[in-house]
Amino acid sequence: MLTSRIRHVVAAALVAILVAAGSPAGAQEKSRMDIVLERGKLIVVTLTTVPPFAFNDDKGQLVGFDIDIARLVATALFKDPNKVEFVSVSAEGRWPAIESGRADMGVGGTTTYPDRAIRVGFTRPFIDSGISVLVSKKSGIKSLKDLDQDKYTIANLNNPQMADRAKRFFPRTKILTFDTPSAQFLAVRSGRANALQIDTPSAEYWAAQNKDEMEVLPGLLGASQNNGIFMKPGDFKWWQWLDTAVAEMRTGSWYPQYSEIYHKWFGKKPPPQKFYLQQ
Amino acid sequence: MSFARWVAIYGPTYLTGLGWTAVTAVGAACGALIWGCVLLLIRLSTGRWGARGVDAYVQLFRNTPVLLPIYLIYFAFPMIGLPWPAVVCGGLALILQNGAYISEILRGSVNAIDRVQFDAARSIGLAPWSTFRKVVLPQVLVYSIPALGNQTVLLLKDTSLLSAISITELTMQAKLLTEQTGAAYEAFIVVALLYLLLVSGTEVFFRVAHRAVRWR
Repeated sequence: MLTSRIRHVVAAALVAILVAAGSPAGAQEKSRMDIVLERGKLIVVTLTTVPPFAFNDDKGQLVGFDIDIARLVATALFKDPNKVEFVSVSAEGRWPAIESGRADMGVGGTTTYPDRAIRVGFTRPFIDSGISVLVSKKSGIKSLKDLDQDKYTIANLNNPQMADRAKRFFPRTKILTFDTPSAQFLAVRSGRANALQIDTPSAEYWAAQNKDEMEVLPGLLGASQNNGIFMKPGDFKWWQWLDTAVAEMRTGSWYPQYSEIYHKWFGKKPPPQKFYLQQ
Repeated sequence: MSFARWVAIYGPTYLTGLGWTAVTAVGAACGALIWGCVLLLIRLSTGRWGARGVDAYVQLFRNTPVLLPIYLIYFAFPMIGLPWPAVVCGGLALILQNGAYISEILRGSVNAIDRVQFDAARSIGLAPWSTFRKVVLPQVLVYSIPALGNQTVLLLKDTSLLSAISITELTMQAKLLTEQTGAAYEAFIVVALLYLLLVSGTEVFFRVAHRAVRWR
């Protein structure tokens, strides 16, 4: 049993945490932009479990499309893609990492949702993609329609959009919910689930890595995903610069660099961002 | 959004998580106690080789993180044709590890029993099984209630690892809410308070139980 003194300490600590968490963000603080420029290095929080966006390669190096995007941001700031330090966390560790100021910004297959944007600032998307379904070949599932049977199980990630989509497209399919994409993948591989839903590039990456066992079903699950750079909300100068940087990557002067990274990870050119450009 | 308002909006969604945490913790605690007793019985009744076998088992589970058997049973068993549900796999992993600890706790209590009692039991003609059931076990359980309480608290907190295998207990619930809202502090502070409540309740339960049997 806790003694009363310890109880008081615990209560005081909790109150302190609540006060710290509840304090208004960015009231008269120095902009992150200036802090980053002074420091001469960008600190980026990222995941390590979402290939091909951010993952560890065979040599244990952190690589991926999102990692290269962060390096491109560092290049824009410091003319050096290596002036960046990555902080690897689990999915739910992303928000405290930027709220506490431990990292300047974050990437890592992170989708922009309106409910998230209440607490987290997002730039415009640096990539958009569909949601695909990856199935094990053993299951014999050939189309999205096949999957909607109660003898099948689909592995979801623990975000609400996954649950909504599963309810809409596969109301009869049994659902398992995991906290990392790699656990989803393991579930299909071990036979726990027959299928999983994930961003199209991830599904295609895994299918290519496991040609004998898995394939991506034709067609997409309706909704598209916008992945943005996220940062602490309320810091106008920092957000404005990052958003401009992303805009330049996708539709402006940095399109060649962006295009190169896109091709490196997805084996094709990015879709044309302006109607008068040929792909 | 203030903390109070956040709790008002998302508070009810924790109830399922609370339920799963409670169910898995109670189930695994009962299972672990039974498995611990079985291990103790094997150690006491099967001579030197039985004791060595139990020792090896205890070493194996005491020196590995419980996440390992959780993953192994959940992801590897379907490959050998045993696709048990997640709750069974997770519960089994917790029982296997905590049973090892509990058998050690019980062993300590057996050693605390005066040797004279074994001689006395034999002299009035009690069979070994009756000696275990009527003399050893009741005393062992009384001696070890505080330590069993501690172990149950540890087990209760270890149920948070079951979030890794798709069980929607409290920690998974917090992860789901964090994914939805980005409000990691709020989501996890609520979970911390709920765990504090569950653990305090467990401690009270064992304290009352200890007081109830102490004077017999």
